[in-house]
Amino acid sequence: MLLNPLTLHLPKTSLEAARLFKELEDSKVLAGGTFLLNSMKLLKHKGTKTARNILSLAKIDELKGVSFQGDTLTIKSMTRINELFVSPLPDGHLKILHTVCRNISTNPIRNMATVGGNLTCRYTWTEMGAVMIALDAKMHFLGPDGQEDIIAAEDFFKNAARSEKLFTHVTIKTQVAARTAYRRVRKTLHVDVPMLAICVKTEIKGKKWYNTRIGINNGVAFAQRDTVLEEFLNKSLSSPDLGKQALEHLTTSIYDTRSNDYKQHMFRVSLKSAIEELCK
Amino acid sequence: MALTPKSKFVDEYVDPVGKSVPRIEGRGIVTGQTKYVFDVYFPNMLVGKMLRSPHPHARIISIDTSKAEALPGVKSIVTAKDTHQIKFGSNEYFFPHTVDQMAIEADKVRYIGDEVAAVAAVDEETADEALRLIDVKYEILPGVFEIEEAIKPGAPQIHESLNNIAVILPVNFGNPERVMKEADIVREDKFWCPVAHPAPMEPHVCVGQWETFTNKITLWSSSQAPFKCREALAKTLKMDLNDVRVIKMAVGGGFGGKLEMLPMDFAACLLSKKAGGLPVKISLSREEEFTTTRRKHGMIYKIKTGVKKDGTILAITGEVLADGGAYCSYGPTVLAAAIMRIFMVYKIQHFRMSGYRVYTNNPISGAMRGFGGVQSGFAIESHMDMIAKDLGMDPIEFRLKNITEPNMVTVNKMVLTTNGLRECIEKAAKASGWKEKRGKQKHLKRGIGIGIAADVMGSKMYKSHESAGAIVKVEEDGSVYLFTGAADTGQGSNTALSQIAAHELGVSYSRIKCKSGDTEITPFDTGSFASRVTFISGNAALLGGRDAKLQILEIVAKDNNLKIEDLDIKAEKVIFKKDGKLLMSFDRALELCYSFKYGKQIIGRGSYNPKTTPIDFRTGEGNVSGSYGFEAQIAEVEVDIDTGNVKLLELWDAHDIGKAINPQSVEAQIEGSLAMGIGYTFYEDLRFKNGRVLNANFAGYRVPRSIGLPKMTSILVETDELEGPFGAKGMGEASLLPTSAAIANAVEDAIGVRIKELPITAEKIIKALKEKTISI
Amino acid sequence: MDVKLNINKKEYHLNLKGHETLMEVLREQLSLTGTKTACQETECGTCTVMINGKAVLSCITLAANAQGDEITTIEGLAQGDVLHPVQQAYIDYGSVQCGFCIPGMIMSSVALLEKNPQPTQEEIEYALDGNICRCAGYPKIFEAVREAGKKMKK
Repeated sequence: MLLNPLTLHLPKTSLEAARLFKELEDSKVLAGGTFLLNSMKLLKHKGTKTARNILSLAKIDELKGVSFQGDTLTIKSMTRINELFVSPLPDGHLKILHTVCRNISTNPIRNMATVGGNLTCRYTWTEMGAVMIALDAKMHFLGPDGQEDIIAAEDFFKNAARSEKLFTHVTIKTQVAARTAYRRVRKTLHVDVPMLAICVKTEIKGKKWYNTRIGINNGVAFAQRDTVLEEFLNKSLSSPDLGKQALEHLTTSIYDTRSNDYKQHMFRVSLKSAIEELCK
Repeated sequence: MALTPKSKFVDEYVDPVGKSVPRIEGRGIVTGQTKYVFDVYFPNMLVGKMLRSPHPHARIISIDTSKAEALPGVKSIVTAKDTHQIKFGSNEYFFPHTVDQMAIEADKVRYIGDEVAAVAAVDEETADEALRLIDVKYEILPGVFEIEEAIKPGAPQIHESLNNIAVILPVNFGNPERVMKEADIVREDKFWCPVAHPAPMEPHVCVGQWETFTNKITLWSSSQAPFKCREALAKTLKMDLNDVRVIKMAVGGGFGGKLEMLPMDFAACLLSKKAGGLPVKISLSREEEFTTTRRKHGMIYKIKTGVKKDGTILAITGEVLADGGAYCSYGPTVLAAAIMRIFMVYKIQHFRMSGYRVYTNNPISGAMRGFGGVQSGFAIESHMDMIAKDLGMDPIEFRLKNITEPNMVTVNKMVLTTNGLRECIEKAAKASGWKEKRGKQKHLKRGIGIGIAADVMGSKMYKSHESAGAIVKVEEDGSVYLFTGAADTGQGSNTALSQIAAHELGVSYSRIKCKSGDTEITPFDTGSFASRVTFISGNAALLGGRDAKLQILEIVAKDNNLKIEDLDIKAEKVIFKKDGKLLMSFDRALELCYSFKYGKQIIGRGSYNPKTTPIDFRTGEGNVSGSYGFEAQIAEVEVDIDTGNVKLLELWDAHDIGKAINPQSVEAQIEGSLAMGIGYTFYEDLRFKNGRVLNANFAGYRVPRSIGLPKMTSILVETDELEGPFGAKGMGEASLLPTSAAIANAVEDAIGVRIKELPITAEKIIKALKEKTISI
Repeated sequence: MDVKLNINKKEYHLNLKGHETLMEVLREQLSLTGTKTACQETECGTCTVMINGKAVLSCITLAANAQGDEITTIEGLAQGDVLHPVQQAYIDYGSVQCGFCIPGMIMSSVALLEKNPQPTQEEIEYALDGNICRCAGYPKIFEAVREAGKKMKK
């Protein structure tokens, strides 16, 4: 027996799930399970109690899928990472979503893990967080009474990524002529956290950068408007705050043997290479 | 003499040796039917677990198992008082004082994970709960975790040995101090080689059953050396050897970690006895794998070399300190191998190096693929490259000036017969484009580097002999059974040995079925280590096949009034030697043997003990192997000087393997070894703090995966070793010996930065580049 | 709870408590021991099976959560005596060493090739990045996947 005894709840609609989310005591939401079930196994092995009620979203069809309507891209919460990876996206800055998917963990995990799980369950480790912030995404939550809350991704992460309602989908406005670049600060596969994700989105007209946003894992977004290119580069790279804030958000772990100096160095190198790509 | 109708073996016949025949177990593995000990489930089987010390160094004051015993579902508990408290170790023959580990410790624990008790219960939950209910009182002692701290006077004493040194190996030849004075250039370097873990995919797992009414033990174990395991079990359980049966099933990788009996093997048997004979299965979790099973020795390798202006090596001195952890395991032999491999590679007359196998309160180091050669490979080959640079000589030119040759005896009396080292170097250089690339790609931040190595095929370190046996049974229906004690842990030895036996017997490979590694059924074999199986067990299989052939030919000769010396069996046919003319088919000959008239069962026997001498550990002399393998490896890298990431572009490995029995298998072994070498160079680094393993899982301990491996070219050099079966030497380890150095040397060529402490990480590169700019 | 699982095109009626992982059900209740496990931490991939044609880890799949899905394990690939092209290719191209990772590796390979029988080298590497082979026979595994794909395309 790898897991403690539990009761599995399998609602068929998102409203039913939203109600159970509010009502069930001692419960956790099961999306992909790659994080939740893994940590429950570990806790059991240590002799710790784990949640009794598991609210599985696996059978809720209305929470699955990627769709386009007008100028809005909608990604439902139970969309698997690999599903998003193969979903056709229009040319332009939204293609960055494919890049992010590619950088997450390994293939079977990409088949199981969900966009929603990635955004809501491990907020300091979220790869999706950075790109959602950069793309000005809006996160939609459903309450037990059917009421919807819409929170900007940036605000969601600034508030330590907590919500009383069930996360259902994210919407992103498409923008013409914006460019995006995404970088991860870590080695290709496993090991060696820090897992810092940096996503930069900007419109470039001539040498000016408009509506620039930098998203970093779990919340820090630097928005600059109407900046000249060189200014932006110099400011970003020389700003002690940028480095310091990034460092604070870098996940630390006992596996991490790198010094703070090196982490800062890597942050700058990654940001610089992302910016250079945008300037091409 | 009638010919029987053609059988399918005749139609399909190809010479087995030299052909890449499919693995015998292939079909079973790809369908999931092959059973590992991991898959063994018996009715009424109990789940066993080990209780382990949470402290790196402590005295055991008391153990109270009463609460655990009262837990429903717990069937037996074992503590030291249930055992004979007999110690076991892996160097009994040469270093009796290093037999220092008890399966269940009685007085003292010496590392985090040291076994103090074991339980068997009806399921895993109950076993886990029982462990929590066993109350052990410890008196915590101060621990020591760094090699250089452990040997200082006043450091906490782990065993009875002085200054925590288990074994000192002095290796001295000639007069290096005097000769060093004549050198034009003298260079001294110190290297750090970290601890790595074998990390086989199948964890250590065993099922023990003690039949109480016959007093007989059966242990199913995922083991590389069933006979060695049996011997240790019999000793520690005070049983006769023949009342202990160890059965190896398919093994999911070993890489040195499964080469000895472990406390869990012992505990499973004893738990079974106390539970009235019910089988007990103990399976280690991945965390236990990383923390409590044998791993590579971390080594500090100091080496000093004096050379003449023309590149001739005059003398070498040095010192090796190996972190052995809490118990001795294979320590002395690993240390010996780490020091003495150099004699197989370079011509040296004046040499002094001392090796110290040091106890610390870290987990136990033992044998791991490479056996000291990975560490020494990194140190020596990096050092040699640095000397070549000091001399202004091309690294290959420098090596060619000093390497060993065929048919020579080294200063420590190793007899090198076939030696393809020169050919390996030249072929690797040609394939990689060395001349065009070396020193010429700095503007691209690319570099190319070489490392060379030699390997043994077996080593007398177990008992007075290290022979292998084989039985080749030819059945009435024409099928042939090969019984060998050799332990196939995935390298394909069952297949290779079957090819050898079939070829010698003169029949098609498809006739052969192979049974290996069951101490009750198969002949003795010391196990899978030191790349010995193809050479030693292969020769036994060959002799077994030959014996069976002669038994058949004896009947045929008798029945036809011919002389046995004039006949042979080849390609499914009994033929006349002098002109190859057909006498009868193999099947017909077999019919004759099993006929009413003769009724002769064909049971061929083979026994092979290589003509070697054990190392004299006082002097370092000994021809430890019947044959030696050689290789040269070249690596090409590209360094990103912004991030420090080193991209390994390509690896060329030229390998003297004598003869490839199964070329596909040999390539697969080489590729696997190369990948393990790459892992050790860049990311395999088991880290400790105060005796605790910090990265005890696959997230923290990174192993090579599908992404990021370079193109690997293996060049097989066949030197046809006379002593080997059909010219084969074998290989299993050699390809990871020079990899780290080849890569480190390539990095130096690319950006002028020398890394002397593995693993090579991006941070170290950035740091070194910064220091280089500052120092200019 | 009564759970109906569709495994290798057969229906199994099980009485589950809810906490059972798919891996435990396969190995311990149904004796389908082809699916192995080597880490219990999502890192190694030896427990890989296919659910609805996608490679997933059975050690973190709740069996009860897989009701209504099509589950395929290594035992479900061969048609009687005839091996699946991927299984045959793994034998033919020497990709099998100790074999412990192979069932999981084959499931990831089949999942890839069924959707994309002519993958690029990069696509193969990414599809197999969750399966550790410590014997590290990756070059031969890649070759087997390429060759099997050619057969499957026909």
